[in-house]
Amino acid sequence: MAVYRRSSRPRFTLLLVVLTSITLLTLDQRGSGFGVMATVRDAARDAFAPVQDAADAVFEPVGDFFQGALHYGDVEAENERLRTQLAEQDRTVLAARDSDRERRALLDQQDLDFAGDIPAVASRVVQMSDARFGQTIQLDRGRDAGVAPGMPVVAGRGLVGRVVDVSARRSTVLLVTDPASSVGVRFPLSGDVGVAAGRGRGSTVRVDLVEPDSVVARGEILVTSGLDQSAFPAGIPVAQVRAATAATGALQQDVTAEPVVDLEGLRVVKVLQWSGR
Amino acid sequence: MSRGVVRLSMVLVAALVAQHSVLVNIRVAGVSPDLLLLVAVAGGIAGGRERGAVVGFAAGLAADLLAQTPFGLSSLTFGLVGYGVGTLQAGVIRLAWWIPLATGLAASTAGVLLYALLGSLLGQAHLLRPELVGLAAVVGTLNAVLVPVVVRVVFWVLSGEREHAFAR
Repeated sequence: MAVYRRSSRPRFTLLLVVLTSITLLTLDQRGSGFGVMATVRDAARDAFAPVQDAADAVFEPVGDFFQGALHYGDVEAENERLRTQLAEQDRTVLAARDSDRERRALLDQQDLDFAGDIPAVASRVVQMSDARFGQTIQLDRGRDAGVAPGMPVVAGRGLVGRVVDVSARRSTVLLVTDPASSVGVRFPLSGDVGVAAGRGRGSTVRVDLVEPDSVVARGEILVTSGLDQSAFPAGIPVAQVRAATAATGALQQDVTAEPVVDLEGLRVVKVLQWSGR
Repeated sequence: MSRGVVRLSMVLVAALVAQHSVLVNIRVAGVSPDLLLLVAVAGGIAGGRERGAVVGFAAGLAADLLAQTPFGLSSLTFGLVGYGVGTLQAGVIRLAWWIPLATGLAASTAGVLLYALLGSLLGQAHLLRPELVGLAAVVGTLNAVLVPVVVRVVFWVLSGEREHAFAR
């Protein structure tokens, strides 16, 4: 006859699992990104890189298929929106050309040729982080290509973020929209400075420390301030002002701005080999 | 090395590759299914609390290798999830087909929330955000779709362990 006996072994196993995990966590925390756990992680990431590249090549169409299927409604809405936009652009093409000339002139004045002479490493975006874990992207270049933590990352129109983690063949970039990101910015029209803080994927950035009497124009393109100790060189476009309000008696303006780079559709970026802190 | 360990290692490598090449491209509201968390859940469903804890720990260890969060956070969370699912599963008479699906949904959702909670206790405050409950529910739903396949695979893994035990 079978006798049911409540075993303590599962609880012992659980205790073992918890203690081992805590040991790993402690080793990781004590290493602060440079210890044995970081080495293990870097090795795993580098070993996994070729597998991931090969799997990407094979499975990317599968992912695209699912993306298309899951966002079919969005695609239809986007088509409709683009049709409307095209019609509007036909009507305003002349004005747009004029505006473009003006914009170019402004950009020239503001010295927004942001890459300048800074050497850069072109890199492909191999992975975007899950929305649960913050706003980061992974690049297919790492230490072997000259990428180092802290380096600014830019795309066609402006700032993407900065490198926060590097292994031999991979690097991780914290996007400007991540809540942990803060970028010192300058308002080109007034010359005032502020701090652009991330608020999460797909959203605007909040610009803090803008004085109530500072002149902020809607549409103005904020650039990195490049002040002493800044993590970024000066003059990189960061975001375009969407709204600015100052409540009576407030100590600062409430400024929101939209990143100039489409961070959702990143494919290729450049890591600026700048360490001019 | 037991057959179960070899099978589990193979499954975890395959799950890691699938997670970071295929599933990462399947985004709903910015999140993807979490295959390794689901392996932990399936460990609890297929093997009970003890094996659930071990399978969950191993799956978490694999997830930790490529995560940006503290090393050990996934193994701790997934181990607890595997154990929790195994404990609950012991009190359920598996008659209805939907019970594993519901378990996958609820446990994955809880796992995501637990991960963020433990992460915030370890200084990863950004993991705890107002929209997290919604994101966790989406991950839970996506994982539930994969439950039938993953539970079968984990049954296969654990059957290897039993075969090895009988052979001794």
